[in-house]
Amino acid sequence: MKEFEYYKPSTLNEASEILSKYKEEACIFNGGTDLIVRMRDEMTKPKVVVNIKEIEKLHEISYEKEKWISIGACVTLNELSKCKMISEKYKILTDAIHNIGSIQLRNLATMIGNICNASPLADSATPLLVLDAKAVIFGADGVRKVLVKEFIAGVRRTDLKIGEIVVAIEVPIYEKSIVGSFHKISRRKMVDLSTVCGTVAKVNGEIRIALGAVSPTPVRALRTEEYLKGKILEAEIIKGAEEKVVEDISPITDIRASKEYRIDMAKLIVKRGLMHLRDSELKWGEQSEA
Amino acid sequence: MKYVGESFKRVDGVKKATGTLKYVDDLKPTRFLHASVKRSPHAHARILNINVNEAKKLKGVKAVITGREFSGAKCCKRVGLYLEDKTFLAVEKVIYVGEAVAAVAAETKEIADEAVKLIEVEYEILPKVINARKALDKDAPLVHPNLANYKYAPIFFPEPNTNISNHFKLRKGDVEKGFEEADLIVENEFFVPHIQHAPIENHSAIAQIDADGALTVWASCQSPYAVRQALSVAFDIPLNKLRVISPAIGGGFGSKAGTTLEGIIIPLAMRTNGRAVKLTYSREDEFVSSFVRQALFAKMKTGVRKDGKILAMKNEFIWDGGAFTEYGVNIVKAGGYASTGPYEVGNVWTDSICAYTNHPVGGPYRGFGMSEIQFGIEQNLDIIADKLGIDKIEIRRTNALKAGSYTSMGEKLDMCGLIDCLDVVVNEMDFNKKEKSSSPNKARGKGLACVFKAPSMPTNVASSAIIKLNEDGTAHLLVTAQDMGQGSDTVLTQIAAEVLSIHPDKITIKTGDTDHTPYEWQTVASRTTYCAGNSVKSACEDVKKQLLELAQIKIGMYKRDLELRDGYVVSKIYPDKKLPISELALGLTLEDGSGIHGPIIGRGVFIPPNIRNVDKETGLGEKPVVFWTFGSQGVEIEVDIETGQIRVLEVVSCFDVGKVVNPQLIEGQVEGGIVQGIGSALFEELIIEGGEVKNKSFVDYKIPTADDMPKMTIRFVENPEETGPFGARAIAEVCMVAAAPAIANALYDAVGIRINTMPLTAERVLKAIKEKNK
Repeated sequence: MKEFEYYKPSTLNEASEILSKYKEEACIFNGGTDLIVRMRDEMTKPKVVVNIKEIEKLHEISYEKEKWISIGACVTLNELSKCKMISEKYKILTDAIHNIGSIQLRNLATMIGNICNASPLADSATPLLVLDAKAVIFGADGVRKVLVKEFIAGVRRTDLKIGEIVVAIEVPIYEKSIVGSFHKISRRKMVDLSTVCGTVAKVNGEIRIALGAVSPTPVRALRTEEYLKGKILEAEIIKGAEEKVVEDISPITDIRASKEYRIDMAKLIVKRGLMHLRDSELKWGEQSEA
Repeated sequence: MKYVGESFKRVDGVKKATGTLKYVDDLKPTRFLHASVKRSPHAHARILNINVNEAKKLKGVKAVITGREFSGAKCCKRVGLYLEDKTFLAVEKVIYVGEAVAAVAAETKEIADEAVKLIEVEYEILPKVINARKALDKDAPLVHPNLANYKYAPIFFPEPNTNISNHFKLRKGDVEKGFEEADLIVENEFFVPHIQHAPIENHSAIAQIDADGALTVWASCQSPYAVRQALSVAFDIPLNKLRVISPAIGGGFGSKAGTTLEGIIIPLAMRTNGRAVKLTYSREDEFVSSFVRQALFAKMKTGVRKDGKILAMKNEFIWDGGAFTEYGVNIVKAGGYASTGPYEVGNVWTDSICAYTNHPVGGPYRGFGMSEIQFGIEQNLDIIADKLGIDKIEIRRTNALKAGSYTSMGEKLDMCGLIDCLDVVVNEMDFNKKEKSSSPNKARGKGLACVFKAPSMPTNVASSAIIKLNEDGTAHLLVTAQDMGQGSDTVLTQIAAEVLSIHPDKITIKTGDTDHTPYEWQTVASRTTYCAGNSVKSACEDVKKQLLELAQIKIGMYKRDLELRDGYVVSKIYPDKKLPISELALGLTLEDGSGIHGPIIGRGVFIPPNIRNVDKETGLGEKPVVFWTFGSQGVEIEVDIETGQIRVLEVVSCFDVGKVVNPQLIEGQVEGGIVQGIGSALFEELIIEGGEVKNKSFVDYKIPTADDMPKMTIRFVENPEETGPFGARAIAEVCMVAAAPAIANALYDAVGIRINTMPLTAERVLKAIKEKNK
């Protein structure tokens, strides 16, 4: 690992100034679970490392009634999964987070870090995509908000500009509770990267599907969603959705899996996700009749 | 028995559990230097030039060495355990990606790493050998063109001017006649890829040369005396000036059985004016530059009678031995001589061939060839049973080795507990009962394998032990059998306690220092309880003899009628006549004040009795191995038929270990073996492309986690080994062997597919399911 200068600012302004000053040579250090590994392997060689963990308000989870829940940049994955409000409202998100790395890693890693790392297989990305979550970005010109879907611009590329810091992820609060499921296919059940991951959920009355590790970025399966609009989830329709999702993705072959296996697994996630939706609605229906 | 057979707590447990035990990397000699290694990016290339000038100029660099500058001189003599084909640094050419080319010693690790980057090496790329079967082609490039000049033990068969470093032949009966008489002949091929041991502690070593020229090496190694021997040959240092210390080992599984990184730091230490040099491998180094398990291509042709009796077997095993096969040649031999599996077969023809390739160095790995061959053998047997419509258990009973049978090598067995073990497994897991799966997209299946293993060691390997009685009746036990987690420190202490009749807490075991602990060939081959145990037993019997000799004078009763009991010499006839052993520890003082004898020090030595070389042409012999350990394991799995993922739900294991010395430790050891076997069956595989390992980290090389643990039922049969200490024989390696073939057989039971390639990844399983359903 190369030598670097280390800063630990206590305000956002200070942090942003340092980042603006050193531009591409500076890296934000948050959980560090991606950055340190990349620095050890010399894939990232920052001259300046800016630790944002001293900035108190980045550790908050806040709530604006009927509008959104905001998760601060420095909230660790384990803190997040212990948050009752999150697990009650967005079980798909908690389920996804529980599948990232190991419990030790989740003591350090943050969801915002998982998003800023912009990996195609980021486990927390697919629930955030279906929830239309936004990245809240602080910069010299103030605060802006970008949909996570647009924030992740490519493999390891984000919309973040020089001097900017993602301070939180805002997840909209929906009137109806969200029914859905997160799926992760990996070589080993625990402590592994996703071969394919995905979330299938009913949000605002519409079925939304997002998949990871099947494209350069985590993607919404928009063609499949369109196909499902207004349809009842019968076996034939689910089969149709499985076939449709192939048009939404462009997986590659690598040492973890072949393109063909990834396509099969994407289809399977759609199938299992839709069946879960169908079964949940059936259950819900039975309950309301009773 | 009082101490043997009881679950005593590990004698090394407290230090390990509290993290206070010092491993090699924890040692920090005064002003020690850090080493870093320049490694080859090419699988096969001639070294044209190495420029170390910039590296030498870097502030903080104390020494730089290359294999080339030592060429012909002391350092780069070829060495090896069985075949002297290895140099610690590449000399004229590199033969695998990751081979050491040059090394640096510097004040800090960072400086050493930086200096390594400044070393420039010019290469001329040579055609590479990256397929073991193609390595045997007549026009294949040669990895070792000078093989004809290498020294080797006469029990191996290298073929000069080829890539064959050992061709072991087993020729028993008339195999063609056997096939003629057969009602069914099946032919199958199996492939087992390279895997790596992945011990929790990476390789680490420190070397330091005193002002008088004496070399001390601290190494995380299983076999200090074998390392001392290899280093002595490589560097022309007499054994009395070479001390190897192995302070602690954090897992070995064979990867630390040989000599690896020690040879890189010694030439550095020769140039640092007495300052110690330390090198600790990274995990990436561990995967690429230490040892890996050799890959195997196996072809098996089997002729059987309608009733399932095997009449003939013809096998071709081609092993991908990698760049150096100094150790691997013996794995190839072991795989060859055990090629029938634990079954009696009259007609056998096996060619077991070790091929040099430009791949990472193959070496010993828990199982030593047995896991690789039995993955095929046990699936093959299920395939045959299926074709004949015979029960899988019955075909095993029909062919199993029994007392009075002849093994593959023609040795007559006096005793064999295989069927006993098979019975236990079948009953314990209710093998023939089909269980319901937990969901419609899952299928359950059961599978089983019978396995065996003999300690793979030369005929005349020696062990020794010293036990010193202290003035207070406690004792120090000195051996060089190394505890790498398997529990040998505890087991050897229990054996000593049993003979001396003192509590194990009163014995302190010291290991791993060639200047102070006595000779042990190696801690390998599942031989420690047996070989080192016998030497410990004999050392303690020596102490007992001395004590009784003195006590008879003091007590006034003949030694025949005395025995050791709970720290006393006691009369067998008049139990109140006794004398504490502490009073005899320094000798006996007579009534007139004069002393006799002096301190009680026991000496024990052992060589396995009467093992003889086999016939060179046929591989047959009357007593080729010391003993076999037999056993069986059954597994139950659940397969997700939509993802291909396998989950192992339950494993039932039973081995005939002769005598369980410590029930808790052996259970842990077998559980570890099962889980390691599951890892190799489901996840583990070095993905090597063009000679380069693509998954040299735990990100993409997966071993089982706590979540992958099945329910494990561990049972034993105890038919005593006549020559073993208290009847004990081996268990360490054989307990890993059965899991993979049993899982493969369970997969067939669950979904009707056969996968002939390890590991049974979800993707391979799903592909096979889809093909079957076409």
